[in-house]
Amino acid sequence: MGSILISSSEQYSGKSSLCIGLAVILKKRGFSVGYMKPVGNLLVEVDGTLSDEDSEQALQILGLADDRHYITPVILTENLIEDALHDEDGHLEERILHAYSQIAEGKDAILIEGSGGIGGGIMYNLSDPHVASILHTRILLVTRYDSIQAIDRILCDIKLIPDSQMLAGVILNEVEENDLKQVREQVVPFLKRKEIKVHGIIPKDRTLRSVSISEIVENLHGDVLSGTENLGKLVDHYLVGAMEVNSAIKYFRRTPNSVVITGGDRSDLQMAAIEAGVKALVLTGNLRPSEAVLGSADEAGVPIVLVREDTMSTIERMESLIGHIRIGQNAKLSRIVELIEDNVDIDAIISTMDIREE
Amino acid sequence: MGMLMLNKLFNPASVAVIGASRTKGKVGRVVLENLMLDFGGKIYPVNPSVSEICNLRSYPSIDAIPERVDLAVIVVPAKIVPSVMESCGKAGVSFVVVISAGFKEAGIEGSRLERQCVEIASRYGMKMVGPNCLGIINPLAGLNATFAASMAKPGNIALMSQSGAICTSALDWAEERGVGFSRFVSLGNKADLDENDFLLEFAENPDTKVIAAYLEGVKNGPEFVKIARDVSLKKPVIVVKSGRTSAGSRAVSSHTGTLAGSDQAYNAAFSSSGVLRATSMEEMFDYMRAFSSQPLPTGRNIAILTNAGGLGILAADACLTEGLSLASFEEETIEKLREKLPDAASLYNPVDVLGDASAELYGYALKVVISDPNVHGVIVLTSPQAMTDVESIAKTIADLSPEKPLLCSFVGGTRVRQGLSILDNSGYPGYQFPEKAVSSMRALCDYRDIRNHVYDKPQTLDVDRSAVSNVFNRASRENRRLLGLESFDLLRSYGIPVVPTASASNAKEAAKQAEKIGYPVVMKIMSPDISHKTDVGGVRLNLKDAGEVERAYYTMISNTRRYMPSARIQGVQVQKMISGGIEVIIGMNRDVQFGPLLMFGLGGTYVEVLKDVAFRLAPLSKKEAHSMIASIKTYPLLTGVRGERPYDIESVADVLCRVSQLVYENPELLEFEINPLMVLPEGEGCVAMDMRGTIESKRADI
Repeated sequence: MGSILISSSEQYSGKSSLCIGLAVILKKRGFSVGYMKPVGNLLVEVDGTLSDEDSEQALQILGLADDRHYITPVILTENLIEDALHDEDGHLEERILHAYSQIAEGKDAILIEGSGGIGGGIMYNLSDPHVASILHTRILLVTRYDSIQAIDRILCDIKLIPDSQMLAGVILNEVEENDLKQVREQVVPFLKRKEIKVHGIIPKDRTLRSVSISEIVENLHGDVLSGTENLGKLVDHYLVGAMEVNSAIKYFRRTPNSVVITGGDRSDLQMAAIEAGVKALVLTGNLRPSEAVLGSADEAGVPIVLVREDTMSTIERMESLIGHIRIGQNAKLSRIVELIEDNVDIDAIISTMDIREE
Repeated sequence: MGMLMLNKLFNPASVAVIGASRTKGKVGRVVLENLMLDFGGKIYPVNPSVSEICNLRSYPSIDAIPERVDLAVIVVPAKIVPSVMESCGKAGVSFVVVISAGFKEAGIEGSRLERQCVEIASRYGMKMVGPNCLGIINPLAGLNATFAASMAKPGNIALMSQSGAICTSALDWAEERGVGFSRFVSLGNKADLDENDFLLEFAENPDTKVIAAYLEGVKNGPEFVKIARDVSLKKPVIVVKSGRTSAGSRAVSSHTGTLAGSDQAYNAAFSSSGVLRATSMEEMFDYMRAFSSQPLPTGRNIAILTNAGGLGILAADACLTEGLSLASFEEETIEKLREKLPDAASLYNPVDVLGDASAELYGYALKVVISDPNVHGVIVLTSPQAMTDVESIAKTIADLSPEKPLLCSFVGGTRVRQGLSILDNSGYPGYQFPEKAVSSMRALCDYRDIRNHVYDKPQTLDVDRSAVSNVFNRASRENRRLLGLESFDLLRSYGIPVVPTASASNAKEAAKQAEKIGYPVVMKIMSPDISHKTDVGGVRLNLKDAGEVERAYYTMISNTRRYMPSARIQGVQVQKMISGGIEVIIGMNRDVQFGPLLMFGLGGTYVEVLKDVAFRLAPLSKKEAHSMIASIKTYPLLTGVRGERPYDIESVADVLCRVSQLVYENPELLEFEINPLMVLPEGEGCVAMDMRGTIESKRADI
C-alpha cells in the first residue's frame, strides 16, 4: 500500500482537483484507491454530522464506501480550536492514525489531501508536514504559477518540510500560456538544480474556471424566466451592468462568455447584454424585467435568472462561484483528468507513492 | 418593395374584418363601423357565431367568403391569430393588419406567437402590418381600418407611428387644425412591414407631399439609410426618434424589447440620409404643416413682419440661432414701405408696422416685402393689441398665394384663436409662438439643401487582405479580443501611415531597436490585457539614448507588474518620437442599428472634457470626411490660428476614408481607434502613433 499527501502553498491552488483526478487515473490503471482529508477546514453539515466540503465532493465523485469519519477524522471546530489554545491534548494524532489504518484496508493507494496551505494547522501540530510524518508518507506540493513569485513561495514552503526526502516533487498549476516557455526552459532547470523535481506543468484552463448557468441558478436560488434550453452553457466571467448603455455594450462585447448582473428595471442594459451576446443575465432585487425584454431574451435563447438578493450580495456569491473549481459536472471531471494525463508525470508519482501491486 | 406591392394595402377592393363583433364598443365592432363610414369597396365581417352584423352578412371564416379578399383586418385574441393567418394565407389574402395585442410586447408566449405569424405570412407571401397596432387609414379611399375614434381628413401628409397612442393623438390634433393625411399607419410591433417598406410606398404615392414618422427605433439601420437617402431627394422625411436620453432609451427597451441605439448614431444616420429630425412631437407637427402647405424657399434669407417690436426681436434672435439670416431689402422695397407705413414704423428687417396697423397695411407691407428678390421666406407675427383686427389680418394672408414660404405666428390666447383657425382652414400654418414659426422655416430651408444634395460614392481602395486576416487569426489563436500595437499591420494594409515601430522583449533589444530607428524614441508596453497604457506607467516619451531606453524598459516592466499583476506582458514597442504635429483621434464603434459609426475629434482634453467630436456612418466619401473634420468646434486649430501653419487636413480626410473602408469591410471589428493620429503641417501628412481595437470572438464558447 502506498500513499501521498497533496499539499499547496495557498488555498485554491488545485489540491482537490488534483486528488480527484489522480484517484480517477489510478483507478483506471487498476488500483483500488482511497482518499482522505485528515484535517477538515471547510465545514459542512451532512446527514446530521459535520464533514468537510472537499471530502464530501471526493466522496461523491469517487463513489467512496468509507465512513466519512475516517475520511476526515479531525474537523477544525470552535471547540477544537479552544482546546488547542488551552494546550489540551485532543489525541488528534491517534485519531488520524486510526482512521488511516481503517481506510488503508484493502487499498493499493491512498491520496491524502492537505488542509488549506502547507503550514496551516501548525498550532495543533497538524500542518501538512506533520501529518505526512505521522503517516510516513511523502508530500507533493501544488503551486499556482501566477508570477515569478511562485518560485519564492515554493522555496519558502519547502523550508517547512523537515526532511528533504519527504518532498516528492512539485506541480506548477494554472500556468499562463505566455509563461509556459519560460517555465519549461528556465524555471524547471532552476528548481532541479535545487533538487526540487517538477512532476507537472498544468496550463491555465478556461473550462475549469467556468461555471454553468444552471449552477449559478442553483447557487443563487434564482428563478429562470427564459432561455431554459441554454442553462448548460458555461461562463467564466461575471460583469456588473450599472453604467450608461452605450458604454455597457462595449464592455459586454469584450467579454462575451459572461453572465451580466443588473437590476430588473434596467431594461436598456438587459437589451444591450442580449445584443452583445452574453451567455446569461442575472436580475437582482426580485424585479421582474419587462415582458418585451423577456420576449427578446427568449428569441435570442438567453437565460434570464431572477434573484431576490441585491446586486452587492449577488456579486459576492458570484465571486466565490467563478474561478473556484467545484467539480459539479462530468465535463469538468473529464477535463481535469485529461489535463493531468497530458501534463503530469503519472509514473513518477506512482513510483514516489511506492505502490506495491498485488 | 415599391408602390405596386403596397398599393393594394391602401386601396383594397375588399376588406374582411376577422373578429367583427355585434357588441357596441368592442374593437371588432369599432373597426367594422369605421370601415362602413366611407369605404366604397366590399366589407366582409367574419365571425363564426353570428350571421349578420350591422346589416352586413357575416361569414363563419375567411374561406367562406365567395371572392378573394385583398385585406384582412384581424382583431381576434393573440392565441388564435396564427391559425386565422393560416386560413387567410390559404384563402389568398394579400394583406393582413393585425390589430390584436398580446404579442412580443406581452412576453415569451407572445413573442413566439409573433414569430409564428411572420413565418406564416412569409410562407403565403402575405404582408402583415402590426401586430399590436391601431390599424391603417387611407382617407382618399375612405378606408379607415382602425379602431380610432376619429377619421383623418384627406390631405398630403403620410404619417407612420410606432406608437398607437400617438396615432390617436395625432388624429385628434389634426382634426382640430384641419390637417389632412394621404396615408396613416400605425406600425405596431413591426414584425413584418416596417418603416422602410412604408417609406418606399409613401415616396411613390402621388398624393403624398410630406412624410412624417414617430419611431422608437429602426429595424434595419443600413437599409433605412439607403432608402431614406433616395426618398428624401423626392419628399421631405420628418422623424421624431424617441429614446434619446438614458431614461428614454430604458423606456424604449422596456416597451419594445429592442435597444434604442445610440443617439449619436441616429443623428449621424439622419443627417447622412437627409432625414429632418424633429426633437419633439410638437416640432414634428409644426414641420408637417409647413411642408404640407408651403413652397420651398430658394435660400435662407428671411423677412420678418410684425406689429410688435418685441416679437420681431424674438424672431430675429431665433432666426440667427437656427442658422437663418435676415434678408437685407432692396432700396425699392424700403421706399415702398416708407410710402404707406407710419413714420415711427421700422422699415428695415424686422419690419414693424406698429401696434395699430390695419389688416390692409399688413397686406400692403407683406406684398412689398415678399416681392423683394433678396427675401426667400417671410414670417408674419401678430400680437392682438387694442386696435388689431386679427381675423381680418388672417383673411388678408389667406387670400395671398405667394411663391415663397410664408409662416405666421399669432401670439396670444382667446383673441388670436379665431385668426389662427382662419389660417388653418386656408392651409397656412399658424403658430402660437414666433420660435415655432422660425424653426419650421429653418426646416424648409434645410430640406431645400437636402433635395439639392449630391451624394458622392465612397471610394474603395485596394488593400492587402491577407495581412488583415493574419492579424485576426493571430488574435483568435491567442484567444485575444483586444488588438493593440501588435496589430499595426491592419493599418499598413489599408495604406494608413504608421510611425516607425519595432518590438523588443528585453532591454538590450529595445536599445538596439532604438538605435536603428533613431533618437528620440517613445516606448510603450505591449500587453493584450492593457488598453490604457498610460494608466499603468506603460508609456515613456522622448528617450534620448540607449541608457535612457534601458532604464525606461526596466521601470516600465516593473511598474506594469505592480499596477497590473495579472497582465500578460509581451515586451515593449519602440517608436520614433514625432513632434511638431497636432494630435487627433479617429475612432469607430459598431452601432447595433446602423453598423460602423465613425468618430473624429482633436486629441486629449478636447475629446475627454469638451466632447468636441463628430460622428458619421461608414462608408464615408472624401467630401463627407472633409465635412466631418470641419464640423468640430476646434476645427480652426487645424486650419491654423494666429499665423500658425495649417495642418495637413487632406491627409486626415484620407485616413478617415481608409478607416471607414477598414471598419466597413471587416465586420468582426467591433471597436477601433487610432489614438493619437499625429497630424503634421500641410503637405507633410499624418501618422498613426497607436491603435486599439476589439474584435468579435469567433470561438466565444468555452
